[in-house]
Amino acid sequence: MTRFGRRGWALVAAGLAGALTISGCSGQSLEGGNDKAAEGQITLKVNFWGDMGLDKLKAAYEKDHPNIKIVLNSGEYNAQHEDLQKKLVAGSGAPDISAVDEGFIVQFRGQSDKFVNLLDKGAGSYESKYLPWKWQQSLSKDGQQIGLGTDVGGLAMCYRTDLFKAAGLPTDRDQVSKLWTTWDDFINVGKQYVQKTKKKFVDSGTNMFNPVLAQQPQGFYNEQEQLQMEGGPKVAFDVSMKAIQAGLSANLASFQPNWDQGFKKDQFAVLACPAWMLGHIQDTAPEQKGKWDIATIPGGGGNWGGSWWTIPKQGKNADEAYKFVEWMIQPQQQIEVFKTVGNLPSQPALYKDPAVLDYKKEFMSNAPTGQIFASTAENLKPQYLGKKNGPTRVAVENVITRVQQGSLSPDKAWPEAVKQAEKAANS
Amino acid sequence: MSLTRNAPPVLDIPEPRPPATPPKHKLWFYRFDTKRTPYVFISPFFLLFAVFGLFPIIFNGVVALRNWRLDDPDLDGWAGFANFERLVHDEDFWNALGNTFGIFILSTVPQLLIALMVANLLNRKLRGTTFWRVGVLLPYVTPVAASTLVFAVFFSRDNGMANWLLSLVGFNDMSNPLDWRAYKWSSWIAIATMVNWKWIGYNALLYLSAMQSIPKDVYEAAAVDGAGPWRQLWRITVPMIQPVLVFTVVLSSIGGLQLFNEPMLFEENPAAATGGSDSQWQTIAQLIYKVGWKDLDLGYAAAMSWALFLIILIVAGINAFLTNRLGGGRR
Amino acid sequence: MTTVSAPAPGKRRPREIGRAPQDTRGNWRTYLALTAFLLLSAFPLYWMFVIATSTDEAVSQTPPSVVPGNQLMTNLREVFTMQDVYFTASLINSFIVAAVVTVSTLFFCSLAGFAFAKLRFKGRDPLMIVVILTLTVPNQLGVVALYILMGKLGWNGTLLAVIAPFLVSAFGVFYMRQFILHAVPDELVESARMDGALTLRVYWSIIVPAIRPALAVLGLLTFVATWNEFQWPLITLNGTEFPTSMVALSDLASGNYVIYRRVLAGAFMATLPLLVLLVMGGRQIVRGIMEGAVKS
Repeated sequence: MTRFGRRGWALVAAGLAGALTISGCSGQSLEGGNDKAAEGQITLKVNFWGDMGLDKLKAAYEKDHPNIKIVLNSGEYNAQHEDLQKKLVAGSGAPDISAVDEGFIVQFRGQSDKFVNLLDKGAGSYESKYLPWKWQQSLSKDGQQIGLGTDVGGLAMCYRTDLFKAAGLPTDRDQVSKLWTTWDDFINVGKQYVQKTKKKFVDSGTNMFNPVLAQQPQGFYNEQEQLQMEGGPKVAFDVSMKAIQAGLSANLASFQPNWDQGFKKDQFAVLACPAWMLGHIQDTAPEQKGKWDIATIPGGGGNWGGSWWTIPKQGKNADEAYKFVEWMIQPQQQIEVFKTVGNLPSQPALYKDPAVLDYKKEFMSNAPTGQIFASTAENLKPQYLGKKNGPTRVAVENVITRVQQGSLSPDKAWPEAVKQAEKAANS
Repeated sequence: MSLTRNAPPVLDIPEPRPPATPPKHKLWFYRFDTKRTPYVFISPFFLLFAVFGLFPIIFNGVVALRNWRLDDPDLDGWAGFANFERLVHDEDFWNALGNTFGIFILSTVPQLLIALMVANLLNRKLRGTTFWRVGVLLPYVTPVAASTLVFAVFFSRDNGMANWLLSLVGFNDMSNPLDWRAYKWSSWIAIATMVNWKWIGYNALLYLSAMQSIPKDVYEAAAVDGAGPWRQLWRITVPMIQPVLVFTVVLSSIGGLQLFNEPMLFEENPAAATGGSDSQWQTIAQLIYKVGWKDLDLGYAAAMSWALFLIILIVAGINAFLTNRLGGGRR
Repeated sequence: MTTVSAPAPGKRRPREIGRAPQDTRGNWRTYLALTAFLLLSAFPLYWMFVIATSTDEAVSQTPPSVVPGNQLMTNLREVFTMQDVYFTASLINSFIVAAVVTVSTLFFCSLAGFAFAKLRFKGRDPLMIVVILTLTVPNQLGVVALYILMGKLGWNGTLLAVIAPFLVSAFGVFYMRQFILHAVPDELVESARMDGALTLRVYWSIIVPAIRPALAVLGLLTFVATWNEFQWPLITLNGTEFPTSMVALSDLASGNYVIYRRVLAGAFMATLPLLVLLVMGGRQIVRGIMEGAVKS
């Protein structure tokens, strides 16, 4: 007993000594967000999700600005927005710069008092450079600009050329585009594919629902913030149900591990692609380089997602943060991001820029992503997305998932979707 | 509290009488030391507990009666019993309550029964006693976050080991694998498995320690009936360790009804906190987290906490009573 | 504990039947069953290691691979270099939190335990009952209010928020009191007082040396429990640069690029320190639990 007692005691002593040294060295970590490490050194924390192509930008900016350190913090899409909301209300803890997606921008522009009004920093001069709707979406009612647009999510359809070939389908992007002018066509192509290969065609019903909804004139909410399920959502929901019932869906929850594995295991052959999806494909399945191509999306263009850079007011380095944001939205950087991950800039002048127009994405079988996505973005009539758009979408997606899991029958699904959406709207 | 009363009254002497008469100026100091030091010694515990233990509980009651939204600080003021009224009509709450109880039963009953078996095995003359005892504690020291993530992979639909094992014995078709997260029954089983795995060894040791304090002559006396090992366990051992059984049942009730980590991390996207696409395995603790920190409605979350507390009290009480009765009410 | 190995001498054991179980030798079935149980207990940990050392392909194949691969270093490097997860920092944070909480629990709880066991003061018994009653309060109950409190103190998102609520434990006081009551003879305390020692001196030179084994037990249990704490750290530390390793793990599992081999490599790292503790101090932990330790 004494032997072990002594050993245990030594353990406690070692623990104590360790704790004292460590907390001595990194005492500041106990204090919370301490931004200034060394004198004159400024740390800018940037929150976003997925891959926004910032790694290279960070390195370049830090090189030119030795006193600035940029910390990139990529998290899960919904969680990042919820976290920002929490921190805004708490009054501390928010990052210096936060990306906000289209799905949440209305919620945040309603709290413009918590963001730096970028017009005060001189952002007004950029108004003319942006797609008008992109500029408007982040503008609060009282005319404060809370964010500078970074990308828009013009829609297209990505497909696997190798799998299409194996199924006896055309592989050329123009021919493929002609296969599906409407979503019904698309579902028919899917049926052929499934019959031929015994594999699934699309990744998930939710990734049918979202693009179709994005194409509708009206989303979940009208501008009076009333839930409008019988309009656009119904159309999109029906398309996704049709696809699921036709057995096209691999039923993978998007952005989850099994979905990522699904890429690698060829569990689906097409994927609705807003421009920002390209980055995810090449990060998830780098070995599939050259096996993907991009066709037009059925049902005409549309916009799904796209973000703004915002600067929460509670940050202590608003000026430096603005400088970095301003630098990020300059053409050169926007083009750089476009090339590395595929995110389409929201400044139409860039669509005419040869660097975008002539760009061929090697990963996507040299598809001219600039041309494809720019054409969808320019002719766009944007939807109004309500304050509760984020949670409402999650609620309806969950209903679709239940149908895919087989725990809810498709004919009972719509009333359930309405019910869940209402619940989310009132939560 | 009997132990306190047994304490010999050595220090009962009202005045300390130092043998060597100390200088006068030190006398008051000694008196102060005997009178006040005990309070100084216990005060850190009570102060810290008051601030971080007691105050939150009381304050929680206040929050439950107010509007307290993180996303709308202006919405302030007393809400009366509005939060509780909402609770009664909230399907999500009742659903979570059902899930919590379902998982609770699936995890507590096998947990305690198997623990009893294991304790009975450990209660033999064994080689390497310490090895076996330390061994059964492996799950206990494993962080629940880490083990749950392993189980989350274990129970995944497409490449999960659970499905593969089932297919080996012909219960599952790999081309149409079981989606463990899709249904209530399967997700409950998966989560209960994690809970059982973690706590069986721990409870086995509790039982073991009780079993070893049973006087040996009890067994000798009972030998007249010709009791074999199995009957010995049920006829003698179990009734004799009944107080510990009650203790573990109460403990599992308190822990099981607050189940949070396993359902939280079983989610494909742990940030979601919905407990599945249809909240099929959302527990009350998880719902409290969702309501409070995702819907940002702290007032309502506080009301739910109170409801949970009440439920725990009731269930722990009933369980203690039942276990007592089943064992013949020896206490 | 000592009853296990020493069969009471001089007792007649005519046949197997009347023998107390602890005097019955385990037969092959006992060992077989125990081995099976141990394997089941260890399997998830083993499989965690397998995936942590594997490639993506090995993870997603059917049948699943059951032998470790050689990718541990690659996977760990990915875990530690993920900027937004702060994994390295999280291990240090967990260590700081667990160590501070352990030291403080040992100190304050042994002080209070000493007072309750050996000192006379007004209100001692009622106060001890209060301590025991607090054991039964579910911690879930105060979480919302604790978050608001930490917000007012400005501690949310800092390590202080996860240290402060755990600095003392009612169980610790209870456990220390029981131990001191039996381990330290009253005469010892009394004679020290007679010699003119102050109470603090009695604590330091008589009580502390006598309760070392109990300190080791309580220290280990506290360290394990604090390291594994998940719900409260998740609430207050999520989304900050100061996660504990459990929060970092949950981050690893919920980003936009969740890769199982990486998640489980992280889980393995977060489990390793506790496995080391179990190997070193397993006997103490067993003892603590058998003496009635409750989950804190």
